[in-house]
Amino acid sequence: MSSKENFSLIIKDLIFTGLIATVLLIPIVGFRTEISTVDSTGLIFNYNFITAFFVVAFIVGIRFLFHIFWFSKIQKKPQENSEKNKKKFLKKLNFYLGVAAAVIAFTLPFMPFANRYIVDVATLVLTYVMLGWGLNIVVGLAGLLDLGYVAFFAVGAYSYALLATTFDLSFWICLPLAGILAAFAGILLGFPVLRLRGDYLAIVTLGFGEIIRLILLNWYEFTGGPDGISRIPRPSFFGFPFARKSEDTTFHELFGLEYSTMHRIIFLYYLILILALITNFFTMKIRNLPVGRAWEALREDETACRAIGINPTNTKLTAFAIGAMFGGFAGSFFATRQGFISPESFTFIESAIILAIVVLGGMGSQIGVVIASILLIGSTELFRELEQFRMLAFGLAMIIIMILKPRGLLANREPSILLNKKNE
Amino acid sequence: MSNILEINHLTMKFGGLIAIDDVSFSVKKNTITSLIGPNGAGKTTVFNCITGFYKPTVGEILLNSNKKFNLERMNDFTIPQKAKVARTFQNIRLFPQMTVLENLVVAQHNKLMKASMYTLKGLINAKSFVKAENEAKELAKYWLDKINLTDRADIEAGNLPYGQQRKVEICRSMCTDPTLLCLDEPAAGLNATESLELNSLLEFIKNEHKISILLIEHDMSVVMGISDKVVVLDYGKKIAEGNPSEVKGNPEVIKAYLGEE
Repeated sequence: MSSKENFSLIIKDLIFTGLIATVLLIPIVGFRTEISTVDSTGLIFNYNFITAFFVVAFIVGIRFLFHIFWFSKIQKKPQENSEKNKKKFLKKLNFYLGVAAAVIAFTLPFMPFANRYIVDVATLVLTYVMLGWGLNIVVGLAGLLDLGYVAFFAVGAYSYALLATTFDLSFWICLPLAGILAAFAGILLGFPVLRLRGDYLAIVTLGFGEIIRLILLNWYEFTGGPDGISRIPRPSFFGFPFARKSEDTTFHELFGLEYSTMHRIIFLYYLILILALITNFFTMKIRNLPVGRAWEALREDETACRAIGINPTNTKLTAFAIGAMFGGFAGSFFATRQGFISPESFTFIESAIILAIVVLGGMGSQIGVVIASILLIGSTELFRELEQFRMLAFGLAMIIIMILKPRGLLANREPSILLNKKNE
Repeated sequence: MSNILEINHLTMKFGGLIAIDDVSFSVKKNTITSLIGPNGAGKTTVFNCITGFYKPTVGEILLNSNKKFNLERMNDFTIPQKAKVARTFQNIRLFPQMTVLENLVVAQHNKLMKASMYTLKGLINAKSFVKAENEAKELAKYWLDKINLTDRADIEAGNLPYGQQRKVEICRSMCTDPTLLCLDEPAAGLNATESLELNSLLEFIKNEHKISILLIEHDMSVVMGISDKVVVLDYGKKIAEGNPSEVKGNPEVIKAYLGEE
């Protein structure tokens, strides 16, 4: 059976599942009788279609997962081309996971179970997703093992904090400036490490990360040292602040809403979601451009790159600069979200976590980074009560994943250019 | 016929070791010149000096294409970029996790970088860039057709059999649009049929594309079959030079290869 037939069968089955579920669930979940509080007639009839809809969606989702993970294995597969089939399967899985993740991400704040805590954790996870995607350019594509990525995160955060507190610039002006400054820091790091590879490169980048942190800690007049920078301006909705009262029109007045602290939380959530998606689309696009292909070639074999006339200096520096730029964006988001930053937020463990996300997700895999961030950041949040055992569980999880999936959770490289489109 | 490459008094020392000792020879335009010699004679060192991977201790390496280049003063990556000298390696150096087509397209990097205005035009999918990329793809397809690998263009280069990887590496160097092609043991590890196919590929490159080839080779069926000129090195010194039949009968060469009676 061709995969196309297979696919249409699955779609049919899913629609059918959805219909049955809808028919069953509308009476069961959708209609509710409740004791009336308004008058004394007793019961009133309530509709709860939104919940019913989510339950239906959930059931269809489960059915779909059954299809990819279970039913497909039951069907007899031709033995030949198993490598090709596996690739095709991974490609499909990547696609559907991506779509599912995007849908969930966009609707999350309006889900019935979403509260402040969940949106906050999701924002944190997305920050790491963005950092992971940024680092993926340097480590996954260009193959430059960077253990000091948090330095660029710090440069971005401090750039925003200092620019905003000193010159009173708005978030939207500071964001690109912070990106540029972080990219500059990336080039600054890039120059001395041009000749280094592998372990040596990792050690120098590690040192660079520490240098940045120590500068932030000791340059008291400029950065506030260990006191950090507080009262960093919070972002406004394109000029309309999130406040109960303000001289300007506030956000809730603009849209005629009741004032709620959740507005800012949700706005920040969408802000990082958009920033992360920009990082993702930029990476996907640049991978298929000459410079992206040169990065990958550089990762594969630097000597061969020189032999075909690729300038390794420029290629490495662009990778460092662009990776750092996204780190800087994420940093300025971090600063505006926290409202307070200090060097303590930019320790080596952050670099290690970001690198772990990239490696666990599968080098160069975009959706892998998302899953790894949810696993690493989400699970550490989940096990917050365990305190000191948290890192133990973290380490154990990493070891288990590395044993089971040494190339990362979803390692699948898509060719950047195809000759035979039909029989791919 | 003029020389495309002139090597004058080339000497390369690594500390106290003299790898190449005052070697001079030239490569005529549109010919195949072979560089042979026993193991450790310094052949690959000569290659590395020509392609900029080593800086020679003494000597001059002149390339006359439409312009004159002093290769000994240029960087390893500017030599293929500006002077248009392409090379392959003794141990194959493809990009194993990239597809065959990507290997050939990445070889056209400098051309495509200009076409994409250093990425800016590429980001907005400008027409001129799309056109340039399609041309790059066509060129790659042209070479893949030559080695009968078109239907395997989209598989990872590292998964190809050894003989095909050798050919892909030659095609990758051809995609850089060279004037001089330096091949380091292209027939190593090939069987007899593959060697013959290699011979015809090299003849094709020479005759149809008017490209001069400098070749290091141990496989005498390749060397004697297609070379216009053979240069023999032993212990870093040039011991003979001439057409294949002259070299074959040279007593110095027999001594280097088989020892004295």
